[in-house]
Amino acid sequence: MSAVSELVAEKSIVTEPQAGAVKLTMILSGAVFALMMVFGLIMRAAQGQLIEVDPALFYQLLTAHGAGMVGTAALSGAAIMWYFCGRHIVLTAGIFWAFLALFLLGVVLILGSIFIGGYGGAWTFLFPLPAMSGGAWEAGAAAAFMLGYVSIGVGFLLYYLELGRQIHARYGSLVRALGWNLILGREDKNPPPPTIVAAAAVTIFNSIGIILGAAVLVASLVHLLVPGFEVNALLAKNLIYFFGHVFINASIYMAVTAVYEILPEYTGKPWKSNRLFAIAWNAVLIFVMAVYWHHLLQDVVMPPWMLVVGQLVSYFSGIPLIAVTAFSTFLYVRGSKMTWDLTSSLLVLSVAGWAVGSIPASIDGMISVNKVMHNTMWVPGHFHTYLLLGEVAMAFGFMAWLVRGKTIAQMSGLDRVAFVTYLAGAAGFVTVFLFSGAASIPRRWAVHYEEWLMHDRIGTLFSVLIVMTTLFFVLRFVLRLGRSNG
Amino acid sequence: MKLLGLAFLASAEAVALRYAVVESPIQHVLVQMPLLVLAGVLLAWNRQIRQEWAVPLLLVALTVFLFWMLPRNVDWALTPTGEIAKYLSLPLLLGVPLRLSWPWLGPVLRGFLKANALSMLGVLGFLYTHAPVRICNSYLVSAQKDLGMAFFYLAAGLGCLWAIPILFGNPSGQRSNATGCASCGV
Amino acid sequence: MMPRALPSVLIASIGLGTLWHATDGGQAFTSEAARRLDVVRVPRPVPALQLEDMSGQLLPLSPQGEEVVLVEFIYTVCGDICQIAGADFAEIRDQLEQRGEPVRMISVSFDPKRDTPEQMTIYGEAHEADGKMWTVARPRPEELPALLKLFDVTVIPDEWGGFQHNAAIHVINRDGRFSAVFDTDAIDAVLTHLEEHSS
Repeated sequence: MSAVSELVAEKSIVTEPQAGAVKLTMILSGAVFALMMVFGLIMRAAQGQLIEVDPALFYQLLTAHGAGMVGTAALSGAAIMWYFCGRHIVLTAGIFWAFLALFLLGVVLILGSIFIGGYGGAWTFLFPLPAMSGGAWEAGAAAAFMLGYVSIGVGFLLYYLELGRQIHARYGSLVRALGWNLILGREDKNPPPPTIVAAAAVTIFNSIGIILGAAVLVASLVHLLVPGFEVNALLAKNLIYFFGHVFINASIYMAVTAVYEILPEYTGKPWKSNRLFAIAWNAVLIFVMAVYWHHLLQDVVMPPWMLVVGQLVSYFSGIPLIAVTAFSTFLYVRGSKMTWDLTSSLLVLSVAGWAVGSIPASIDGMISVNKVMHNTMWVPGHFHTYLLLGEVAMAFGFMAWLVRGKTIAQMSGLDRVAFVTYLAGAAGFVTVFLFSGAASIPRRWAVHYEEWLMHDRIGTLFSVLIVMTTLFFVLRFVLRLGRSNG
Repeated sequence: MKLLGLAFLASAEAVALRYAVVESPIQHVLVQMPLLVLAGVLLAWNRQIRQEWAVPLLLVALTVFLFWMLPRNVDWALTPTGEIAKYLSLPLLLGVPLRLSWPWLGPVLRGFLKANALSMLGVLGFLYTHAPVRICNSYLVSAQKDLGMAFFYLAAGLGCLWAIPILFGNPSGQRSNATGCASCGV
Repeated sequence: MMPRALPSVLIASIGLGTLWHATDGGQAFTSEAARRLDVVRVPRPVPALQLEDMSGQLLPLSPQGEEVVLVEFIYTVCGDICQIAGADFAEIRDQLEQRGEPVRMISVSFDPKRDTPEQMTIYGEAHEADGKMWTVARPRPEELPALLKLFDVTVIPDEWGGFQHNAAIHVINRDGRFSAVFDTDAIDAVLTHLEEHSS
């Protein structure tokens, strides 16, 4: 009820910075990250035949891990961006609570559909797989899974509507918030800070993604409940990958605001928007929507020009990112006396991990490579690089910053051990994936051949390191939050 | 008085399309039905209600909207009873309550409704262009496909119409006031 | 809070109830689905009607004695779906002949002006409808609208001088009631239905 009354127009009541809501969200994100990593560990150990897991359960874990990680990456990114946007614009707290409530409702539906209903059709719900389980799950389970997505999507829609509305109210138009005045060389007394530029871009492309995603979700739901209604499978696949690509990318583009807002505390130089920065973000806005075709390089029925665009944009989309964010981070850090505590180390690592992760991604985006690599471990290799070493590191860096206190001090021994272990674990883990991909080990297989077990077992070892350090980061965050509040 | 005249004109136009709607589902669903809703909107243009009625009236409008979105009711609307129900319910139970509640709806809720409209038009386009079965018994398969494409075009058009003011700002440079503005807010 | 929300909750419930009712409990979104559901719930009595078959003889539409009648609606110059449906109907006939079930099958023309007995014979020969178990027949033109109304069959002219209609297999049970509808290609479903209702 409170959500509804928030939605009905009234004078906005709230000016609180909403740190409480954001901290709660980060605790939830940290907990789900840890749980999903345990699922990942179980899958790797099962592939390495260190433990025995029923293949049906393996695919349920795979589905939960995919949906859960994408969702949590987006949740933590959204919390970070909300927090820092609050420095520049006034956001209504009720919307964030409604967003969080809808998100959690979605999580309950998704987990229920998987572990009670047995749904194991992967996070991409690719048409018509959810309706063709071969007896593994009922239509109701697949429907609950999709309804969970719908709920999360509605939550995000509210989030972006509020963000877009307040940016619009403060800057007059979204293109001004995207820095068009900077690009066109016009005078702007109040240029948008980097966080607002990022927020405007993500608001635009993720709203489009969510609207299209909702269309394909509801169409799939109708098909599931009324089998007479078919949808065009190729169009559905296009829409699903558009939505999926945009949504997971948005999680990093939201979380990177932590880098823009926190690193200046360490370098002593404010991170300001300039012309190049604005151009880069406008390019990102276009690229992130035009590049999704690189997910369909194996669909021979796609018009060739789309695939060519997919490959070309894959190359180009690295440029605004590496040239602007990664390169400026490098310049900022090099020119200043940084104090390396857990926050700054994780944030700088995250930018590096993100940039490095784009390299295997671009390679996989080449049509000739994709033909042989697409169904191998190469693909989880590349996205784990920029998620584990990018988005997740940003989230952990933000969490460390939230409980840091005013003084910046060098890392303690324990923090140092944890950071190095996380770095080693994650780097080793993704390297094993990439090696396995190069050795043509397929992805998404529950049962592996004898020859592959060495890869899987080394990967398992590294994932143990990641799980341990993740638990450390999350517990450290919760304990310090408790100490500062109590 | 002028508005009443316009409302009458819209409903007269809708009734004049009686025979055209039998031929073409686009005329039926995307011309006649919106005209009837428009008649209701015009009828209630200058009326105001208290805030507590905004959400209940919105729910009435949404129910009626969903009811007429069901393909079987599009068939039913061509029978004598269905036709009368259509002529009465679309203006009085959809147009009027939508217009009355709209000024009270917060910008986020308005944006949500608009985004939902786009998604749902996409779903309809999806289903009508590719259904291997005839969705409405009263219309040809080819007409059904045309209707599906029309849904897509409408979604694209509305999307641009609603996005451009937010993207590029209000050309007049001032924020429009709440009364009599259907496109303000997000 | 509660009194303020009461009207909304009330209207939301009424709204959901209306939609629930309007879709037969979330089961039927199209008029075709609605008619199929309706005849199963309330089988419709079929009046004693005479049809004219391929040889110009009159035959009753309603079942005689212990038999069941399967009806499909066609027009003989149909170029697409009736041809496929005709093949499926032939398949059902072959299966029923083997089992020796007391079933009569009629392809009823909804274009009685053009579909003369000669025309119907051509159609019957094309599909091996020999008039024994399966025959092709037409109603008297003035009885056609009531017949289509009874079966809820909508016939509309298409762009090429033919028709489009909701093609299906209609079952008239032993009691002379129209009691079930199946897709034209749902051969197994029809056979199972007849088996279940024969004992």
